Amino acid sequence: MDLSRRAVLTSGAALAAAGALPAAAAVAPVAEIALVMNSADASVSVIDMATRREIRREPVLREPHHWTLSPDGRTLLVGDAAGNALFSFDPATGAPLGHQVCADPYQLWISPRGSVLVVAALRLDHIDIYDAAGRTLKKRIAARSMPSHIAFSPDEAMVFVTLQRSGAVMAIDLARLAPVWTQPSGPTPAGIVWHDGRLLVACMGSDHVAEMDPADGRVLRRIVTGKGTHIIAPAPDGDTIYVGNRVGGTLTALDAATLKPRQSFTLSGGPDCIAFAPDGKLWITRRFTTTVAVLDPASGSVEPITVGRSPHGIFLSSVLPAARRDPAAALGTASV
Amino acid sequence: MTDPALAVAGWLQQALLLPLLYRLGAMQWEDLSFGWALFAVYGLVQVAATFAVCMPLEHWRPVERWPDRRAVATDMLYTLVSRVGILPLVTFVGFYQVQVAFTGYLADHGWVPPTLELLVPPLLGHPVAAFVVYAVLLDGAEYWRHLLSHRVRWWWALHSLHHAQRQMTFWSDDRNHLLDDLIAALWFGAIALLIGVPPLQFPMLVLVLRFLESLSHANARVSFGWLGERLLISPRFHRAHHGVWAAGRRSCNYGAILPWWDMIFGTADFAASAVHTGDPSAPEALVSGGYWAQQAGGLRRMAGSRRPAVTQR
Ligand SMILES: [Zn+2]
Ligand SMILES: [Zn+2]
Repeated sequence: MDLSRRAVLTSGAALAAAGALPAAAAVAPVAEIALVMNSADASVSVIDMATRREIRREPVLREPHHWTLSPDGRTLLVGDAAGNALFSFDPATGAPLGHQVCADPYQLWISPRGSVLVVAALRLDHIDIYDAAGRTLKKRIAARSMPSHIAFSPDEAMVFVTLQRSGAVMAIDLARLAPVWTQPSGPTPAGIVWHDGRLLVACMGSDHVAEMDPADGRVLRRIVTGKGTHIIAPAPDGDTIYVGNRVGGTLTALDAATLKPRQSFTLSGGPDCIAFAPDGKLWITRRFTTTVAVLDPASGSVEPITVGRSPHGIFLSSVLPAARRDPAAALGTASV
Repeated sequence: MTDPALAVAGWLQQALLLPLLYRLGAMQWEDLSFGWALFAVYGLVQVAATFAVCMPLEHWRPVERWPDRRAVATDMLYTLVSRVGILPLVTFVGFYQVQVAFTGYLADHGWVPPTLELLVPPLLGHPVAAFVVYAVLLDGAEYWRHLLSHRVRWWWALHSLHHAQRQMTFWSDDRNHLLDDLIAALWFGAIALLIGVPPLQFPMLVLVLRFLESLSHANARVSFGWLGERLLISPRFHRAHHGVWAAGRRSCNYGAILPWWDMIFGTADFAASAVHTGDPSAPEALVSGGYWAQQAGGLRRMAGSRRPAVTQR
């Protein structure tokens, strides 16, 4: 998923340990890869970003949906919802690193400063808050119903979760581990991001993004983008926010400062998660196909890459700190 | 390479299901609707593939010839309802909810339902091998469910709908009472809680298994030979199970895909060969009635089965 990724990665403390890579010099530098969670195929596709070809598939149990990156950038956790398991991968190579049992990890996210792992169990109607390091369960919070996407406040004081079936957003105080408010957002909320001191919520049962006040959950305004608004992805340049519209089959580019729609791209196949490549292109999974679309926002051209059935989450190794990607560099510089 | 069945399911989802859910204000079910679209399209492929193979077989080497084939038409309806349409919908929405509620309850009490691959770690990372083990275990569970549905009096009253057909063809595999189907789904669900059951991860393998089940009902003089019959269930082997003398308690050959369970538990009869199928004690409504007449007839027979006077064999 694409929420607050930069916040996770730019946390300096989290990256301090990135220097001590095992046998780094012996490993040839690897190409940049994309990891794609094939939700109806029980596998993770490993794609060579340069050649745009799938290199191989790593099996998981049942139904991988989303991922989160550990604060040290060494482990990519992939949630297998129906398999009730968390799978670990090396985010630089896609090598499998093992798994552990976890109840219905549909959506998962580690907080910006790396202290907690929040897991939303879409089917089982609860939100689990784990200690990120030891992965011990601190608190299970009942969340009726269908908790789906997650966003943190940058100071890590709060976590916000969309409740798809209730048409609401739940705010949880991470110090007290208790819900603070649950407020209506608009029908079937899916994607949620923290932007500029506000929450942006994609209302999939409607055609807009709701801007909410994180303090009390009041809806401040509604920005119409397209039918079936599903995902919200702020571009790393801080200039544009992309919104995927599931039913309309479009992708809307919003001006990050004004939240006014600036441009619209046609994108069929049920656009879902979005990842940003260093060259400015968007890598977008298409749920109702077997492809990832690489969209060039400058020209609007789309390049498909074949993966498994119903691709959902997507991770690009290019977001890893240079130290983690290039073994040679890792030996010289311990911090980024 | 793109999978054409998946392309059709994707089209169904985008052109019909999503706009419908959007209009109904039910977008939270969009994931499930795609699951159903996949299930329905693969189901349609199963039916088409089975038809393409079994139809010529039944023409080439029929066991029986009938003056009119009206009773077969109802079986065609059963097949379409269960493999393409309504039953998968009920399974995906209704049954899903029950299973989720129960799993949630267990998770809240500290028990996460396992999967076979976590119970038997070497299977993890070998999805095809895992699938084969699942197929064998589920086939074994299916054997016991089927055997019990012959031995338990009220259950047999329901299952006798499957046996009532005197014009048994490859369409007859899904000819079941809805209540019997529901029990089968619960049986399956209980196993899913114990070992986890893979969803449509291997549509082609599932297609082959379901094809074998349909084929075993075909009105075709087909045997797999001495060894083949002991590896996979043939039309000859399953026809013996449907023979008029085998209806009820003392039947043989209960297996669905593998004959091994019958061989292990002493219910296999490789010598038996039946020509005529049916259940002589079944009321006519179960034999030649339409879909709903059969459903009502099954319930009536079940209600009557509580009285000791009912025909039991
Ligand atoms: Zn039977
Ligand atoms: Zn049968």
